[in-house]
Amino acid sequence: MSLACRLFGWARRRAENLLSLLLVVMFVAFLLQIVTRYVLNAPLSWTAELSTLAWLWGVLWGAALVLRDEEEIRFDVVYGALGDGARRVCDAVTGLAVVAVFGWSLPAMFDYVTFMKVERSAYLGIRFDILYSVWLVFAVAMIVRHAAIAWRAVVGRRA
Amino acid sequence: RAQSRRRLRFTAVFSDQDIRADAMRGFQRDLAADFDVELHLNATLFRQGTELVAIQRGNVEMANLSPQDLSRQIPAWSVMASAYLFRDADHMRKVFAGPIGAEFNRMAREQLNVHILGPLYFGTRHVNLRPRTRISTPADMRGLKLRMPPGETWQFLGEALGANPTPVAFAELYTALQSGTVDGQDNPLPTSRTMRFHEVTTQFVLTSHLVAYDLLSVSSRVWDALTPAQRQAVQAAADKAIEESTRRHLAQEEEMMAFFRSQGLEVYAPNQDAFRAEAQRRYLASAQSQSWPAGILDRVAAVR
Amino acid sequence: MTPFTLSILALLGLSLMGLPLGLTMIVAAIIYLGAAGQDMSIAAEQVLNGLNGSYVLLAVPLFIFSAGLMNAGSLTDRLLRFCNLLVGRMRGGLGHVNIVQSVIFAGMSGSAIADAAGSGKVQIEMMARGGAYPASYAAALTAVTAVIGPIIPPSIPMVLYALVADASIGYLFLAGVIPGLLMASAQMGINSWMAHRHDFPIAERVPLREVPRLTLEALPALLMPVILLGGIYGGVMTPTEAAAVAAAYAFLIAALFYRSLTLRQTYSAVVDSARSTAAIGMLIAGALAFNYVITSENVPNAVRDLLAGWNLSRLEFLLVVNLILLVLGCLMEGSTILLVVVPVLVPTAQALGVDMVHFGIVVVVNIMIGLVTPPYGLLLFIVAKLSGAPISAVVRHTLPFLAAMLAALMLMTFVPEIVLWLPRRFGYQG
Ligand code: NA
Ligand code: NA
Repeated sequence: MSLACRLFGWARRRAENLLSLLLVVMFVAFLLQIVTRYVLNAPLSWTAELSTLAWLWGVLWGAALVLRDEEEIRFDVVYGALGDGARRVCDAVTGLAVVAVFGWSLPAMFDYVTFMKVERSAYLGIRFDILYSVWLVFAVAMIVRHAAIAWRAVVGRRA
Repeated sequence: RAQSRRRLRFTAVFSDQDIRADAMRGFQRDLAADFDVELHLNATLFRQGTELVAIQRGNVEMANLSPQDLSRQIPAWSVMASAYLFRDADHMRKVFAGPIGAEFNRMAREQLNVHILGPLYFGTRHVNLRPRTRISTPADMRGLKLRMPPGETWQFLGEALGANPTPVAFAELYTALQSGTVDGQDNPLPTSRTMRFHEVTTQFVLTSHLVAYDLLSVSSRVWDALTPAQRQAVQAAADKAIEESTRRHLAQEEEMMAFFRSQGLEVYAPNQDAFRAEAQRRYLASAQSQSWPAGILDRVAAVR
Repeated sequence: MTPFTLSILALLGLSLMGLPLGLTMIVAAIIYLGAAGQDMSIAAEQVLNGLNGSYVLLAVPLFIFSAGLMNAGSLTDRLLRFCNLLVGRMRGGLGHVNIVQSVIFAGMSGSAIADAAGSGKVQIEMMARGGAYPASYAAALTAVTAVIGPIIPPSIPMVLYALVADASIGYLFLAGVIPGLLMASAQMGINSWMAHRHDFPIAERVPLREVPRLTLEALPALLMPVILLGGIYGGVMTPTEAAAVAAAYAFLIAALFYRSLTLRQTYSAVVDSARSTAAIGMLIAGALAFNYVITSENVPNAVRDLLAGWNLSRLEFLLVVNLILLVLGCLMEGSTILLVVVPVLVPTAQALGVDMVHFGIVVVVNIMIGLVTPPYGLLLFIVAKLSGAPISAVVRHTLPFLAAMLAALMLMTFVPEIVLWLPRRFGYQG
């Protein structure tokens, strides 16, 4: 295996570690919330914010860097019935569409995310441009992944 | 005449059935000659709390902004969301119509590109409790789990009332009251009626801690592009909507008190001076009052 | 071509060509914004603020997590063995085991996918062992029984519905109990009939001395629904928080009582749940982005006006809703229907005086039936994959069950008392 491949696999496992950590954080924050309110009668208020942020990051981070193509939910009644050649055409079209649309909108997305520096989260006081930067990770990952899908479809190498 | 009609998209959290929705339909009719006013209610276009950024970025022309929304970007505005600032709806209206209102509206224009048309009153918040404990002063609230909306300023308000503020999602509030997950909630009386909270609580303590209003606002870029005649028409329609909505809310609040009493609930006023003194003491001791204009509480109180 | 038409064409074209649904909806929303000359970042704004702002959605990952822990920690296996004790000796008994297991599992998991994917493999293998039942029948039964999961509380679709209809989650949960049991009884009836017709075998007798041990082992797992519902109605936690408690309980029982959970298994349950969460979350993200297109084009008002123009009575409206949702259920994923289509129907339902809790149950049952309706029944694909049976054979065996479930749906649509009786006992005023 080439060094690039190993590096890629290593990075993907670390991305998976972070995704798992986010779920655990969400879970623990919930339990803290119940215990501090019901048992200690001293409700915490930052737990709800922490768990929604973990959920937001988990979805976009996971979809960008962890999920494999076969794990994603798709409508494959037609696609699944197609032959190999027709599927390659579909992959090329959808792949290029994603690259074009995300590439086209990236400047606007960047503008929005950086604009959000004017607000901070209610309890933890984290700037929203930092919290929402995960969208840019997602957008760039979509461009790269779908460029690869389109490339494989065009040159005909099996995924 | 080739004058093109202007599209004014308006986004708000309140529902179709709300008194404010009626008032805004009046606004829509009054401006029908020159404007296409589109009402997007129920927070379907932009979520609660995200409308300000939507106006700033030019993605919507009009919105119903809460003073809490403005205070997230202009800390001085947090005084306008503080408890026991206004005595009642009329006091609030007079403050906004006078020099203090002009000063705060100017901040919104200069720092946020938001032009404020006026405050849209929707009720005064009171405490609604499940336990029968008689409440007279903030000390009587000690240990009660009072549901307050999520957000730092709201939770602070809960503490200022002497309670243990607890964030619970609005959709889960009825069940939470019924089962005792929380001991109480605070909302204007008509909201408590709509959500049927009276079925699972025993008393309304008329703390009058917060005169609730939103700011009917328009993007200042849109406003500045209007002709003087159009501005006058929009302002007049807004004033009329605010007037009508306020009048109907006040009447409805009166009805609600009678209704809750008829349902066997206790409805009474506590020692409001004790609550006011304690709340203002806490605010002035807190970090958020650092950003308030000097002497603002006294200046507001002096408005008659 | 208007931006809206362009966006709808992109949505249909790209999803048919196999692009993941959530991503397709985001792409279609960006295309709409770009073509309409609006700020394209609104798509990001809607997804980010939407995911960040809907606290009740957190029940989704937490229920997935609790189902993952239950499977990893052998709670599911033990439940299955206990059910075998109860009904294994009847004709078609293993089929009944499959049904009863789902009813109990339903009280703990919020998701049909979790039931079918989690316990489905064990159930299918048990039934098909030694050729006792055709694998396709076992698979079909696993799919239709998994449908009960989100009808009996807790329930992820009901949480999503409560979000769009602003209905009480607590009462929705109560309202699902009787319809869920009704559907399970209908399924048992069909299963008995099939068992006699095809002469399905009877399970081996469980030695009597095994009975106390198997019962005792299953007891902590059986207590879970009691703890969750007791906790919600006893004021300890909100329904959203119950999802976290379910996971904590499954973890404690598996780790301390059954001692069947290694660190490695725990980690892999976390990873698997997090991955499913991301996959389902993308669907929600897509719905949030595309919802802006629908709202911006005033589609809900147009549909509402259209429905209003037909002057439907309350019953006609409910019937039309059943038809719309059953057709869409064959074509679309459940969460998408809940987040995109149902908000359009809610105002009309309110105007006609349809109870929002009753409406919620009708909607959820419809969507669940859509999970096993060909051609796009997600559960059918899952069980076919698990059993190795051809999809056409699985579909053939689901048909009688489908007919029974549709009959049950009609009954609860037209007799709201079936749905509302239990919530009213607990103080619901609707
Ligand atoms: Na089952
Ligand atoms: Na369930």
